[in-house]
Amino acid sequence: MKLATRLTLLGLGLIFQTYCLDAKSLKINGFVAQGVVHAKDSNFVTDDGDVSFKLTEVGVNSAYRINPSFRVAGQAVYLEGGNRYPDGFRIDYLFLEWQLLNNPHWHIKAQIGRNKNYHWLYSSTRDVPHTRPSIVLPQSLYFDVFRDVAIGVDGLALIAQTHNKLGEWDFNLSYGNSRISQDQKQNLLGPNASGKLKHNTDKQVSLYWRPKLTDFQFGVSLLDAEFSYQRGENDTLFSGDESSQRIMFNLLYQGQSWEIASEIMRERVIAENVLFPGFYTDTTAEGGYLQARCFLSNQLTMLVRLDIYDRDRQDRAGRNIETLSQGLVPGYFGLMDQATAGITWKFAENIQIQAEYHKVKGTGRLAPIFTPNTVLNDNKYWDVWAVQLMYWF
Amino acid sequence: MRVVVNPSVEPKILNVEQMRRIFSMRQTTWSNGQAITVYVLSSQHLTHQAFSKKVLGMFPYQLDRIWNKLVYSGLGEEPIKVQSEQEMLDRISQKPGAIGYVMQQINDNNVNFINVLEE
Repeated sequence: MKLATRLTLLGLGLIFQTYCLDAKSLKINGFVAQGVVHAKDSNFVTDDGDVSFKLTEVGVNSAYRINPSFRVAGQAVYLEGGNRYPDGFRIDYLFLEWQLLNNPHWHIKAQIGRNKNYHWLYSSTRDVPHTRPSIVLPQSLYFDVFRDVAIGVDGLALIAQTHNKLGEWDFNLSYGNSRISQDQKQNLLGPNASGKLKHNTDKQVSLYWRPKLTDFQFGVSLLDAEFSYQRGENDTLFSGDESSQRIMFNLLYQGQSWEIASEIMRERVIAENVLFPGFYTDTTAEGGYLQARCFLSNQLTMLVRLDIYDRDRQDRAGRNIETLSQGLVPGYFGLMDQATAGITWKFAENIQIQAEYHKVKGTGRLAPIFTPNTVLNDNKYWDVWAVQLMYWF
Repeated sequence: MRVVVNPSVEPKILNVEQMRRIFSMRQTTWSNGQAITVYVLSSQHLTHQAFSKKVLGMFPYQLDRIWNKLVYSGLGEEPIKVQSEQEMLDRISQKPGAIGYVMQQINDNNVNFINVLEE
């Protein structure tokens, strides 16, 4: 379905709800954020590496409870991120929620439609500026090139919450796929990919535990995703398949003055053909970050983070990439490590400003992922700074 | 600090975990099936900060994170924000199933109090 049609339907649906039913059951929230970003020596934001205002995020969401069992919710966003993700409008989520069980001990519901990714620490609101710890999230797990695919899927989600003597538990299960746009495809495969990239299936499950009487939270999630590529006219690529299987662990400690967050993952990626007939690769990537936030006051928060990513745990320096490309693709495309320092100043109830600096080694998470751009990304070391003002309601 | 509820609310005593679940929006109905409507003051309000830390044993930023996830991922609804303790009392007295908190002295017969059992 075309984006314009989807947006129209969402708008009409909201208007219909407002006029036909109790308006008090309709909730509307949103955000507006604008920033400035500079990624010199890489194509992370722009091809020329200049200072850019491509850091615009606007969103509006609404939810309406039809009755105790059914609710609809949706969010539309407009983004401008340069090379990080395609510019323009998109529907982030739009679903019908069915409350299967709701009592003081259990909450179980199903959501049908476009669902957010509820499985990682920051995945469910990675597109909402004031909920993020930093403007640019750790690229090992939250790499921007994959944002539109990773942010959610069209299908079914099952969400369960309960508690017992051990603490609170959250369980999430999702199944579906997502539509990959032309821009998104080129972000992943390069500008010469004229065929069709399909996200066939995405299955994820996650479990979170907050032990009683502690400030800790532990989580684990599993992901199994399959993609296929169909060759197009005058295509440099070939029809083929790709599958990803990922296991992630995460930890969150929330203290009075400190918050510690960490996520680590191991991901097996198998790709067949695509680059050329008979091409086969089976590599296991590893990545993760450790992040600390310090609450200097009610308004001021400091952040430091170290993020590491290796495309192949058997070849962390990327030597195989150099060998297979006969020296055309440097080994630093096989990794990307990032050190970050940032600050958040919330100077009003609904307004804050974030500023940060990232020092990066490697280009493993830059676009296009599958066919590296060695011309624009010819520096092993590069950096990014960004400042963003955000308002929400 | 007093936890206040609409007179229609049956429980007179809640423990800290139940209070956390209610204000985290994990529990949305009372035992008799009545919907819980949660009212809070703004995160910067001193009463809210005292309530979060002293009654719930949670930090305001923890609540903000939970509520933001509900609102901006479509998972649920956040509590209703009020501008003052008087508005808190007025709204709770009118809304069946409502719960909130105040620090000021209350001479209002239109609300009840909940005793919170500490861990």
